Amino acid sequence: MRWLLRLLRRRALDRDLDREVRAHLELLTDDLMRSGLSATEARRQAALTLGGVEQVKEASRDARGTHFVEDFLRDVRYALRSLRRSPGFTLAAILTLAVGIGANTAVWSVLDALVWRALPVERSEELHAVRHGAPSDEDPNYLFSYPRRGRLQAALPGSARLGAMSSIGGLYLATGQRNDPVSAQMVSGDWFQVLGVGAGQGRVLNEGDDDEAQAHPVVVLSDVAWARFFGRDPKTVGSTVRLNGQPVTVVGIAEPGFDGLTVGQPVYVWAPLWLQHQVGFYGNFSSNDSDTEKPWLPQDGIAWLTLVTRAPAALTNQVESRLATRYRAELVERFANADSVERTRALQERLQLEPLARGFSPMRAQYGDPLRVLMLSVGLVLLIACANLAGLLMARGAARGQEVAVRVSLGARPGRLLRQGLSESLTLAALGGLVSVAVAWLGGLGLLRAASPTSRPVSLSLALDARVLGFAAILALVTGLLFGLAPALRAARAAPFGAAATGVRVTHRLPLGRVLVASQLALSLVLVAAASLFVKTLGNYLRVDPGYAADQIVEARIEPRVAGYKYEELPGLYRRLLDAVGAVPGVRSVGLSLYGLGTGAVRLGGFRIPGDTRGSRQGQENYVTPGYFATVGMVLVRGREFTAADRDGLPRVSVVSQAFARHFWGTDDVVGRHFGYGEPQFEVVGVVRDARVNRVKQAIPRMVFHPLAQAPQEYALSVEARVAGDAGAIVAAVRAAIAKAQPDLPIRDVVMVSDLLERGLSREKLLARLAGVFSAMALLLAAIGLYGVVAYSVAQRSNEMGIRLALGAVPWKIWRMVLGDSLGMVVVGLGAGLLLWLPVQGLVRNLVFGLSPTDPGTLSFAVLLLALVGILAASLPAWRAARVDPAQALRGQ
Amino acid sequence: MAAPSTDVIPGTLDLLILKTLSLQPMHGFGIARRVEQISRGVFKVNPGSLLVALQRLERSGWLDAEWKQTENSRRARVYALTRAGRRQLELQAAEWSRRTSAVARLLRAEG
Repeated sequence: MRWLLRLLRRRALDRDLDREVRAHLELLTDDLMRSGLSATEARRQAALTLGGVEQVKEASRDARGTHFVEDFLRDVRYALRSLRRSPGFTLAAILTLAVGIGANTAVWSVLDALVWRALPVERSEELHAVRHGAPSDEDPNYLFSYPRRGRLQAALPGSARLGAMSSIGGLYLATGQRNDPVSAQMVSGDWFQVLGVGAGQGRVLNEGDDDEAQAHPVVVLSDVAWARFFGRDPKTVGSTVRLNGQPVTVVGIAEPGFDGLTVGQPVYVWAPLWLQHQVGFYGNFSSNDSDTEKPWLPQDGIAWLTLVTRAPAALTNQVESRLATRYRAELVERFANADSVERTRALQERLQLEPLARGFSPMRAQYGDPLRVLMLSVGLVLLIACANLAGLLMARGAARGQEVAVRVSLGARPGRLLRQGLSESLTLAALGGLVSVAVAWLGGLGLLRAASPTSRPVSLSLALDARVLGFAAILALVTGLLFGLAPALRAARAAPFGAAATGVRVTHRLPLGRVLVASQLALSLVLVAAASLFVKTLGNYLRVDPGYAADQIVEARIEPRVAGYKYEELPGLYRRLLDAVGAVPGVRSVGLSLYGLGTGAVRLGGFRIPGDTRGSRQGQENYVTPGYFATVGMVLVRGREFTAADRDGLPRVSVVSQAFARHFWGTDDVVGRHFGYGEPQFEVVGVVRDARVNRVKQAIPRMVFHPLAQAPQEYALSVEARVAGDAGAIVAAVRAAIAKAQPDLPIRDVVMVSDLLERGLSREKLLARLAGVFSAMALLLAAIGLYGVVAYSVAQRSNEMGIRLALGAVPWKIWRMVLGDSLGMVVVGLGAGLLLWLPVQGLVRNLVFGLSPTDPGTLSFAVLLLALVGILAASLPAWRAARVDPAQALRGQ
Repeated sequence: MAAPSTDVIPGTLDLLILKTLSLQPMHGFGIARRVEQISRGVFKVNPGSLLVALQRLERSGWLDAEWKQTENSRRARVYALTRAGRRQLELQAAEWSRRTSAVARLLRAEG
């Protein structure tokens, strides 16, 4: 403590010390005068006895123990002064550092928010989700029905609660004049308690809200929703709003910072489970022997709820085994009378608890790997930048050689010189780090926007909190040490003034500098190769033939269920839509379907064919209007399309895809065969060529198409219009036509299908774009580094060149000599880069499509590009060397 | 033969300062003179090392210091012993007699 005080009162203490030493001197003088010496003689003797005033002061100051910090601060001031004297270098260095450190911090902060950060709930490591399924299932299954949740809850001790939540779905929130689409989630009354999330205003849901008979319809809003739709009006709590037309009371606002359990998909509204039917909420569900048009809550056949529970580490096994036992008992009972195939398959199912500390995140799986690759790339760029800065600092140090020599002569110890050298690089790093915060913030936002899979930007809070700032600070420190160490060490070993040979200039070949340049080239090769791979991958994806005319289809996503249409009104609605859109100029034909192309929304069903012993297998279903395949450009390879004759009441027909036919029957010559969910109720009337109706990257589905007319209770969600000419211009016209024909029909989106497919490639676009940017940066930095080293060596050898030229050498031979010199660096660098590529290509294997990571075309391109850049960078100083004026060079010696 | 050294025995400067100040607070010059007096000229304290030692002892918390007027109306920094300093003095004095008696015993030993 006293030490700190001494540090802060340095100046006062210095004054004290000075006065004390001088006082001592005076007293000594007085004493000597008293013993008879003259004034001058006494003073001289006193001075001799004391030793130099400054020496004593210095020694005392050392004894004070604060001189480390004082020296460091003095070094920093000195570094700032000398940096100010070379503004060009300083600015370039700070910018390089800011961009390098900022880019790294930006990628790191996004990675942190998406992959590493835990949920903002208390003791998030205690949260678990309940999951069931057979070990052979590809996707984990988290869905349970409400009655089943009750039975599982009964198997647990009273204190353990199973909170239930639906998937996140879209509803319309209406207040006064506004009617906005929001993401909503149905949750059980104890859900907020299980998570430990409280209310910022009002209250959250509790178990009293679960009782449908007694409770009023209430909702809880998120803090973001409150700010966005209500401007944080305190009167919101207690007011009434409409959810899909249903009046509900806002009973509270959740605590700020909580947006639900799915990372990247914030929830705005939470409502009790029993409101599902009243507001018409349809989230993800799997249904078995049930009626989705009736309330879901009491039906055991509709599994639509994810269950979460809180279990401290000690109790997890206990809770899990109780649940698993109960679940198994149910399975045994249910399948007691089923055939043996079904029973064996069913009994393979297990129930488990899965840790949920970091929430659910579909984005995490998608973006985890690319972000890690980007983190590596941007780290490499920073390394390359450090190498450049190290080289620059060393060149500066060489230029200041005289000054350092003088210091050594005055008694500076190597340790002191090292500290001084380091403080300059650390100061630069600190300044760069400060500016990098702004770069990191902007970069993070830009990165998120580029990574958004839909037109709505992903909401991840990228606050500049202590973690991010701490990362930036540590990175700045490490960077400063990294590029400052070598130059500082070199300065520390300097010889005192006069000891270095003057006269003949020593030809430094800067071996360290060459090694740095070679490694820069190697790293750049890796980055350029990776970037080319990603660009090619993106191109390959974009060129994939989806199996339909994606760039000629305008798709409108509508929501007739939300608008409240009844079943009887649907045929009329469909007729009006087809007529309205068909009338738009440029539209060649129109179709309706349950799920549109490229949306990623699917309906899966289990199908069997007669005589099949393998049990039911999965297929994907869609319901379409007559002429649909011609409209979207899917090719029929056998049989026919649907026509108006395929009406409700007549025998049900289907068109299947080739994949479906081959999977079930082994051939695609299946017109006339029958299949169904249980009984063979559908007849195949046509076989269509395989198409990527989901996202481009997903596997080709086994499709079953039914006529929309034969399913009168289905709400078509998509209008597809085949257009001639510029599809982009017709988008607005289609939207206007629908709005005019049916003003009360909500339109979610009107797009070209090719745009929709591209949106599904946002991950690949992100990789290609960013990897391209980073590799360009790396290439530029490596070129600058190479230029610097060659220029330096040319400068050192300029009198040698002058002599050669004076003796009659041809200029281009000089050029060739210099170039040949640097060729070594380039070749070694490229070779090392290729070696480095071997382990790296394993990392990116999952991210490429349509080519192998060791694609020779890509590698040769990268090698050639780097060789070209290297030759250019080295040619410039070489060319200047060849034009040296011999007389001037000789004079400069 | 060289003149006998008047330097303080290495390592004992702290002890001498603490002892001198235990009798009464005084400034640096006074301490040097007192040591010279009491040792009857055997030890002459080097003013430079004295000041350094005083800084060190102050840093360790064994001395307190403040500016005062002296007899000849000059200002000087006067040092006084703290309680911790008194304890340290006892410790160091005990250590000193332990070691010197050991040396004396060794010197008296025969064979």
